[in-house]
Amino acid sequence: MEVLAADQFTLEELTEAYNQTRVDYLVPMPMNVAKLREYTQIYDVSLPHSVVVVSDDLILGLGMLGVRKNRCWITRLGVLPYGRRLGTGSTIMNALIERAGNHNFNKAWLEVIKGNDPAHRLFNRFGFTETRELIVGRRPPAPNKTPPPQEIDRVTTLDHEEAIILLSHRAKRPNWLNEVETMHNARNLSALLVELKNGGRGWVTYHAGLLQLTRIIVEVTAGDPEEVTATVLHVLHQRHRRQDAIAENLPDDEQWLGFQRMGYFDSFRRIEMVKNMEE
Amino acid sequence: MARNGRNRLTRSPTRIRNTMKLVLQIEDNHANRLLVERVFEQMAGYQLIQANDGESGVGLALEQHPDLVLVDMGLPDIDGQTVTTIMRQVPELQNTPIVAITAWPEDKAQEMVDRYGLDGCITKPIDIRQFPKQIAHYLPLDS
Repeated sequence: MEVLAADQFTLEELTEAYNQTRVDYLVPMPMNVAKLREYTQIYDVSLPHSVVVVSDDLILGLGMLGVRKNRCWITRLGVLPYGRRLGTGSTIMNALIERAGNHNFNKAWLEVIKGNDPAHRLFNRFGFTETRELIVGRRPPAPNKTPPPQEIDRVTTLDHEEAIILLSHRAKRPNWLNEVETMHNARNLSALLVELKNGGRGWVTYHAGLLQLTRIIVEVTAGDPEEVTATVLHVLHQRHRRQDAIAENLPDDEQWLGFQRMGYFDSFRRIEMVKNMEE
Repeated sequence: MARNGRNRLTRSPTRIRNTMKLVLQIEDNHANRLLVERVFEQMAGYQLIQANDGESGVGLALEQHPDLVLVDMGLPDIDGQTVTTIMRQVPELQNTPIVAITAWPEDKAQEMVDRYGLDGCITKPIDIRQFPKQIAHYLPLDS
């Protein structure tokens, strides 16, 4: 086997190989070239740091490395069906960890889909430990004629730059997908600041596409987390009635109860994992 | 009879109205499309058209008004769930049966069906002996 840097391949080749790794996956999430390009840009994936494993000119597997200040993120790791049971996964992980080590990152992060036990065990073997379980929530568009859960005092609409400022002041550590850098790269975010008559306060940032609401982040700055979250989302979906909503990598906490009250359900879960690179 | 197109959209010949049931398959994986195409070749009374991503699938549905839509949940541009929500908001397609074809675990697949207003789901990989009966269940020839 030979390990090559991913930037030696075209995006078409990488997309084709990646899709083949996901043919029989638990939650297949195929990509096209445009999506992969967007993915690398939004999540700061470095193709020179990412790897492709080949044997006799055949791609056996690949893995990508997101790079930000002091930390990195392993993503899109996959082994093609004919590359399995050959140690390809370990080869990819060795190569990515080595590249991460060369750049003095403090921590390496990744997520594994809950239930993907072979991948989970692989990551454990390489020193990754579990931090939290994250939810990918979905909400099909639905008419909502019910009043908001809590009485609203004021709603303020904010633009992308203001949304980034809000996102920079979150109480809890965001997952890579939801970090400020990601949201900054995603562009065209909007935000709603919702103030309740009972003193509760919260905001939501999101991207409103024609067909989907994505990049949904809710923060409660005062009041009951579940009630404020539900009210904020009520406002969001009253303004955007027709789009399918996707909220990725939400912590399983009281706010998730608020999401569920507004019609979100648990599509699937990811396990976030971390490796301390300084050990 | 299905035709494989070179482009993103696989266009059928002019639909033979009132005699054939038109089925649209939206599936990004070439091998899966080919398998379904081969099965449909043996199914009298049905005409298959195919699209390899969500956007072209929606376009084809708007253009051809199929009698049944088979949608893969994992598509490279917009996923099967969003494709379904789009179709359900179009008056001409609101009552068109939409069936998911997915490898998801049964409980998750059923939840998607219930939440997104799909009419059912067929498990991947398809069973070529059962598939014609499954199609007939969602789209009987005498309907």
